[in-house]
Parts: sequence; structure tokens; C-alpha cells
Amino acid sequence: MDSRPPDQTAQPPLFAVRDLCKTYGEGETAVRALVDVNLEIMPGELLVLLGPSGSGKSTLLNILGGLDRATSGEISFEGTSLSAANDRALTQFRRRHVGFIFQFYNLIPSLTARENVDLVGEIAEDPLSAREALELVGLGARLDHFPSQLSGGEQQRVAVARAIAKRPAVLLCDEPTGALDVKTGVRVLEALQQVNERYGSTTLIVTHNADVARMAQRVVRFGDGRVRSVEVNSARVAPSELVW
Amino acid sequence: MRALDKKLLRDVWRMRLHAAGVALVLACGLSVFVMAVGMRGSMERTRAAYYTERHMADLAVSLVRAPDRVAQALAAAPGVEAVETRIVGYALLDLPGVEEPPSAQLVSLPADRRPRVNDIVLARGRLPDPVRADEILINQAFADANRLGIGDTIAATMHGRRQTLRIVGLANSPEFIFVSGPGELFREAGRFGVIWMGREALARAYDLDGAFNDAVFVLGRGANAAETIHAIDQVLQPYGTSGAYGRDRMLSDRFLSEELRQLATMATFLPAFFLIIAAFLVNIALGRVIATERSNIGLLKAFGYSDAAVAWHYAESALIFAAIGALIGSAGGIGFGRAIADIYRDYYHFPRLDFAASPATFLGAWAAGFASATAGCVVSVLRAARLAPAAALTPPRPTAFFAAGKGLTAFGERLDAKSRIILRRIARFPRRAATTALGVSFAIALLVVARTFPAEMDYLLDVNFGVANRQDVTLTFVEARDVGVLHEVRRLPGVLYAEPFRIDDVVLRHAGRSVHEAVFGVPANARLSRMIGAGQAVIEPPPAGIALARALADKLDARPGDVIRIEQARGRRIGAEVRVSAIVEPMIGSSAYMDLGALSRLMREPGRVSGAHLMMDPARYRAFNREIKETPGIAGASYVSQADVSMRREYEEGVGVMNFIYAAFAAVMAGGVAFSAARITLAEQERDLATLRVLGFTRAEVSYVLIGELMALALLAVPGGAALGTLLAIWLMRLFQTDMYSFPFVFNPAGYAFAITFSLVCVLAAALVVRTGIDKLDMIGVLKARD
Repeated sequence: MDSRPPDQTAQPPLFAVRDLCKTYGEGETAVRALVDVNLEIMPGELLVLLGPSGSGKSTLLNILGGLDRATSGEISFEGTSLSAANDRALTQFRRRHVGFIFQFYNLIPSLTARENVDLVGEIAEDPLSAREALELVGLGARLDHFPSQLSGGEQQRVAVARAIAKRPAVLLCDEPTGALDVKTGVRVLEALQQVNERYGSTTLIVTHNADVARMAQRVVRFGDGRVRSVEVNSARVAPSELVW
Repeated sequence: MRALDKKLLRDVWRMRLHAAGVALVLACGLSVFVMAVGMRGSMERTRAAYYTERHMADLAVSLVRAPDRVAQALAAAPGVEAVETRIVGYALLDLPGVEEPPSAQLVSLPADRRPRVNDIVLARGRLPDPVRADEILINQAFADANRLGIGDTIAATMHGRRQTLRIVGLANSPEFIFVSGPGELFREAGRFGVIWMGREALARAYDLDGAFNDAVFVLGRGANAAETIHAIDQVLQPYGTSGAYGRDRMLSDRFLSEELRQLATMATFLPAFFLIIAAFLVNIALGRVIATERSNIGLLKAFGYSDAAVAWHYAESALIFAAIGALIGSAGGIGFGRAIADIYRDYYHFPRLDFAASPATFLGAWAAGFASATAGCVVSVLRAARLAPAAALTPPRPTAFFAAGKGLTAFGERLDAKSRIILRRIARFPRRAATTALGVSFAIALLVVARTFPAEMDYLLDVNFGVANRQDVTLTFVEARDVGVLHEVRRLPGVLYAEPFRIDDVVLRHAGRSVHEAVFGVPANARLSRMIGAGQAVIEPPPAGIALARALADKLDARPGDVIRIEQARGRRIGAEVRVSAIVEPMIGSSAYMDLGALSRLMREPGRVSGAHLMMDPARYRAFNREIKETPGIAGASYVSQADVSMRREYEEGVGVMNFIYAAFAAVMAGGVAFSAARITLAEQERDLATLRVLGFTRAEVSYVLIGELMALALLAVPGGAALGTLLAIWLMRLFQTDMYSFPFVFNPAGYAFAITFSLVCVLAAALVVRTGIDKLDMIGVLKARD
């Protein structure tokens, strides 16, 4: 099973995951969230991790993003191991390379849309301006609104703008449309695809929604903590054509 | 146990850190309350019992000389239940191993019985044998300070004659609970004592055989003191009386009353601080609990619990906090009170002083604790009661933030995003921010007050010893001597400079009012002992007429230009009219002042002085002391410069303990409030802080959001705290002000610096403790959950 997209085989992978295991708890109550996962993720690709809840996809996303540690196995980013990295190194890794998008947006309620994006700009090396990032997600007119003054879809697009403002190498999105209706969900996915194409950020979208997978270059299917299949999507569709 | 009660106990356990904070703050306040109110009651009961048991005088009078038979007329005065005529004098003492001769008041004891009035308590030894003229009792405090015991002998110069006396017992008396020399500002137990000895021996020493010069009275129930005083003065008028007076002029009783008054101030001032803080802490804690319990409140109401039952359920937790605080406070108050009682008993030599707080005191403490908790919880509890079940079951709307006013926005734009989070939260939750700031400002105020007291005392000592009384020694003559005596004084070993003075015990009369006071005769351009007014300016005696202290002028209703009458209060009772030339505001004392020459002429003793202030060669004290112990005619020697040193030492020891207690209180106040606020900020912002961590902010950067908010509030509290402390200090100084001292407010920069720094450090420490929660943030768990 060739897990790499055909046109990128010559490049070194952005993430290389080898025999990764994650177990929560001990003894009889131990839960094996990830079992011997092997995966390579190429720079610039848009990957969808698909599977029912509890299948391990979010756990992998968290480990890839430096929020969690594997129990065993090896994971590297641009050839540097993340498995042995300490808390400080993981913080720096997130700070420099990773943009996160969550199901429940997680904006800072006391900061406006612009300021939520600025927050990331302050610690990034060459950030987009908040206006640029928000215009990219279609929120150029809502710069000075507080989260409580925005709809769910708008809040999620602010979260996307915040994630991309640092021009991250990788965008990790955990159920980004999970709390949204189809129409607003599609707008968020459009924004993600646009960022992926324009800035070449490797984008991983975790979802249990099989329709979303149709926009991916590759689809990784999870089940019981294992990678069940990796498929190259030969007929990608634009987010606007998705329905669920 | 009902399920709801179980929930209550578990809720309280969950809130245990908040509960501990509230309980601790309440406990501090209530322990001070129980201690101060209980101590005041205990002291009052002890004093009353002591006075009754030992027949403390209601009235006293001193006179020049009256034959013993006059006693019968005194006993017959209306309202008099018991009278004791006595011989009272002053002596300069020569103690073995004590270089500087102290002074003592001598009081006669009846030969064949215990005194009917102002009876003594024999602490050790026995009563003097009436047949043996040299046997004496001395007061316990003086004996302890000078390490004198039974069998020791001391020499006393009485009425110009030196006698050797043998100590046969140590005694205490209600009349001398607080002992200080005449005209002395401060108590120095070792420098002034009381000697009781047989009447016959004392009569011989003072040439008062068959006569007396002092009388003390116990009044019957319902007696009219004014009427009795009038009758006594009538009887004693031919015998040079200075007029009978009540307990308000008995120094010891006055001092005790002052002490009791200070306890009463303490019982209200400190606890009030703590009760207010506790109420705010309850408000913060319960507000948070009810916010997180919305769905539970909805469920309870959906099950059919009434609004009142739900409200009571949450109010109960506040009352449990209060009960814990009141319990600890009551126990702490008893412990605190017992410790203070021991100190008081040893200091005043009460025969016994057991600390006991009345049930009413405890009831008051508990009521105050509950009132504080109730006041703190009422807003939150009402909110719980008003919550409609359906609304309570839906998740709360996210906290809405709005753009602040223009000024704040402009300011915010210059800040980084983290600082903006801090600023917006403060603006969004002003009540909570105010609570934190108020707690810290109270702590600062408390410390400013605590540090002002020693500064005030220092200032008073500086003024008294450094500016007003710069002499090393003050010699007082037994009776006024011709100013020529100064030549002899200057010839005493080590005397570099001598300055005469005169004091007359007088009654001043004006506009139908009369006041018994001292009038000081001061030489113009005095170099040693001077009258000091506001701003430490030297007040010169008026070249003519009399200057009155403001308090005295008010009592007499006299203004500059008025003519008042002054009369000698003893002796020849010479009287004269004199014009008020100035009203002065001396910092110490509230007497009348005249030019030395003018006063002696007015008293028809031109050129006669009462004593001299001396500047000494420190190397020659020993020779000087030896000489004056042998010199007749000297009633007392007051070692001013040495008193300064010993008083500062003694005072500093006491201040150390007080500073420690106040610092501990302030730490509880500032630390408790900051801790509580920090924990709630952490709980509320858990999600935001976790988001920041996920976005790549370091722990230090995220900690800044938490600690920064608290420190910003603490800094906001600084001006208010300093101002409140200043106002309180000024108010307390006014309360403590007496006729004897006036306290100008002393600005003590070091005290303010300490108060502010210490309080900020307490806040920082509390914030750092709570900050460890940031290390434990569960980034994944928090982010997965919905608001």
C-alpha cells in the first residue's frame, strides 16, 4: 500500500510516524487509543483523517501537534524527533510551526477578532497582518467584533485566521465543522483549502464526516486505534460541492 | 441525612480552599474582637473587684497640715462612708548598686489596723511593725525593677534628712496600679516607687506629729460627689487644701481607663476590616459556585424544590464558612486573651486577672461572622433563587465583552494582546476587581496604621527628649529655693550648665469655671527645657501675662486679653489676677506658662525657683550621683537622657511583637483575597489559558495573564490603601489624643514603603501558588469540552 501521493514521492516527509502507540491508563483499565500507527505526511498536502469517534484520529492529531506524547514509537517533524522533546521544546514547536483549529473555536472572549489573530502574530516570526488573515476568511468587515458578537461560523473562521496568521507549516483541524451547519461549515472548509493552496500549509482535518473526505488529497481511515486504509483521492471536489 | 445536605457538605469540601480563606479572615477579625471585648470586660471586672475589695478611694485631697481631730469632721461630711487620713511625702532614694537615685512617694499606714481606704495587698513578707520606725513596704513593680527583696535596706532622704529603711514586704495597691513620678510622661517602674511605712515614723520625718497632709475617701451608695467635695473643701479650707478631687484626677485610674478605651477602639477597628473582607470573599466564592451550578439549580427546581429551598441551600454553605471562622476566631480569641491577660497581670501587678469573655461577647462574634457571610452571599443567593429552571438548564451565554471607553481603548491599543486580556477582564468584572483591590488596599492601610504608631511614638520621644527637654537631669527641690541656689547646683560635680524653673500647683478661674493645673515658670531664651508647638517651633514664655495651652483655654473659656484668676492650690493659697497674653498649642502637656520672674513675683516669692535642669558631663555622673544622695533639700532627680534611651529600648521590644502581629494580619488579608481571586480567575480562564498554551505561548507568558491581572489590581490598590491608612492613622491619633499629648500626623515614608511592598509581595506569593495550576492545565481536555 503506497501511502504517499504520487507526485510527491521524491520529497522527504514533513511528519514521519513509526510504530506509534498510545495507551491511556494501566492494567485492566488500559485503553489503547493508537496501535502501531505508521504514516508519512508530505509537505503541503491536505489530508483528512476519517473515522468514528474513539477511533484514535484525534489522539494522533494531538500527538502530531505536540499537545500529547506517544507511549511508544517514533514521530519526527522535518527529520527532528518529537518523541523525546520536553515540554519547552514542544511549546516552541507549536509556537513556530503549528496552527490549531478546534470544534469549539476556543477564541479568547475578551479579545476582538483582530486581537485574537494579533495574539498569534505577537509570537510568530513573520506573521500575516490580522486584517490580511481575516480578509482571507471573508471577515474583513468584522475586525473589531468580540466573539460574543459573532455567529458560530464566523467564530470558526476567526479561529482559522488565527491559525494561519503565523503561516504555519502545518494546520491541524479537529472537527472544524462539527458544531456548524452545512452552509457555514462549507465556508470554513473553503477557507482551509484556500490557505492550503495559497501558503502551502500542510493541512490535516480530523472528521467523522465522510463527505468532507472528498476534498482531501489523501484520506486516512481509522478504526480501533489503527490505520485501516490510506487512499489517494483521485477525484477531489471543491468544498462548495460537498453536502452532508 | 438528606441528599441535599450531602450535596452541601460535598460542595463545601470542593470549595475548601475558599472556605479556608474566608474562615481564616473571619477568624482573625473575630479573635481580635473576642480578645479585645473580653479583655476589656475582664479588666473592668478585675478593676472593680480590686477596687471594692481594697476600698479604692472615690475622692482624695492633699493639704498642708491639719490636726488629727479634723478627721472626724471629714468622716461626718455628707456621703462619706470611710475616710483615711494619711501622711504623704516624696523622697530621694539611695539604693544599693543603683547609681542614679530614684524617687518614691511615701504613704503612711495606720499603726493598729489596715487602711480603711486604699488598702494594700501584701504580695510577699509582712506588714511593718508599728514599733520599728525603719520598717517599710515597697511596691512590687519597683522592687522587681531594682531587684529589691525582703531584708534589703535602702536609704531615703526625707524632708532633708537621710534615713535607712528596711524592706519587710512587697505590696500592691489599687491606688498605684499604674505608678509614675509627678510630671513624668512615661512609666518607668524602676525610677519611681511607692513606700508604705508606719504613720508615726513618717509623721516624725515630716514634722506632722498629730496631724495629716492627705486624706482619701470612700463614698456611700448614692452619694453626690460634688456635694461631698464641697463639704470636704469647707472643712479643710483653713489647712491649705488644694481641693478634693475624684478618680478623674487620680493618675493610675485615669491611665487604666485610657487603656480600656484603647481596647474598645481595637475591638471595633480591626475586626471591622476583616469582616468586610470576609463578606467580599464570600461574595466572590459563592458567585463563582452559583455560576458553575446553573444546571444543578435548574435540575433542583425542575424536581420541585422551591426558590427559597434552593436559595437556602447555597446560603448554608456561606454560613458554614462563617461558623468555621467564628469557631476558630472564638478559640483564637480565648488563647489570645489569655496571653494578653498574663502580660497585663504582670505589668500592673493585679492580684489576679483571668481572661473571660462573656457569652454575649461570643454571641456578638458569631453574629458578626454570620452577618458578614450573609451580606457576602445575599446577591449570589438571590440570583440563584431568581434563576428560571428552563434558563438554568441551558448553557450560559458566553461572557460578552464590549469595547471600553475611548480613553481605555486608546490605552489598550498600545498594549500587547495578553495585557489587553487583563485590562478587559478588569473592566468586565469591576465588582470582583474592586473586591480584590479593596482587600489589598485594606492590608496596605492596616500596615500604614501599624507603622505610623511607632513613628508617632518616635516623633513624640524625639520632640520630648530632643527638642523640648534637652537636659540630662532635672533636680526638684523639696520647697522653692532662692535662685542663688543655682551657684551651689553648678558646683555639683559634672554640671556644665544649670537652668532654673518654677512649677506652681494652681487653680485657674475664669467665667465661673475653675481648673486645677500646673503653671510653669520658664526663663526667657531657655536652652534646655522649652515649650514646643506645632512644627517643633519653640514657644517663648510671654514677657507679661500668662500663656494657656489650647485645651486649658477651652476648659476655661478664656481668650487672649481675658483676665483670669490664679490661686496657689496649696500652702499660702496666694491668688492674683493675670491677663491671658496668648493661646499656645504645645505638643506635650496642657498647662499654663509664664515668665519665670513674673510667676515668682506673682506668687510673692520673687527670685525663688522649684528646681533646675542640668546639662552634664557624662563622665562625671558617678560623682554627681554620690553627691546629690547626700544633699538635703533635693526631692527628686530625673535622668532625662537615660530615660530616653531606656524608653526607646522598652518600646522597641513591644513594637516588634505588634509589627509581627499586624504583618501576619495583613498577610492574611492581602494573601487571602489574592489567593481567592487568583483561583477564580484560573478556573474561569482555564479554557483561555489552555488555548494560549496550545497556540504556543510558554508557561511564563501564560502565567503573566494570571499574575498580571492580580498585580495590576494590587497596584491599583496602592493609592487607595495609602490614603485609607493615612486617614485611619489620623483618626486613631485623634482618638488616642489626651490632655497630655497631642499627636500631629507623622508621615513615615519607610512605613508606607514597607506597607506597599509587603502587601504586593503577599499578593505575588498567593498568585505564584495558584499559578502552579497553569502547569497542570489539561490542554486537550479543556479544548475538547464545550463552554
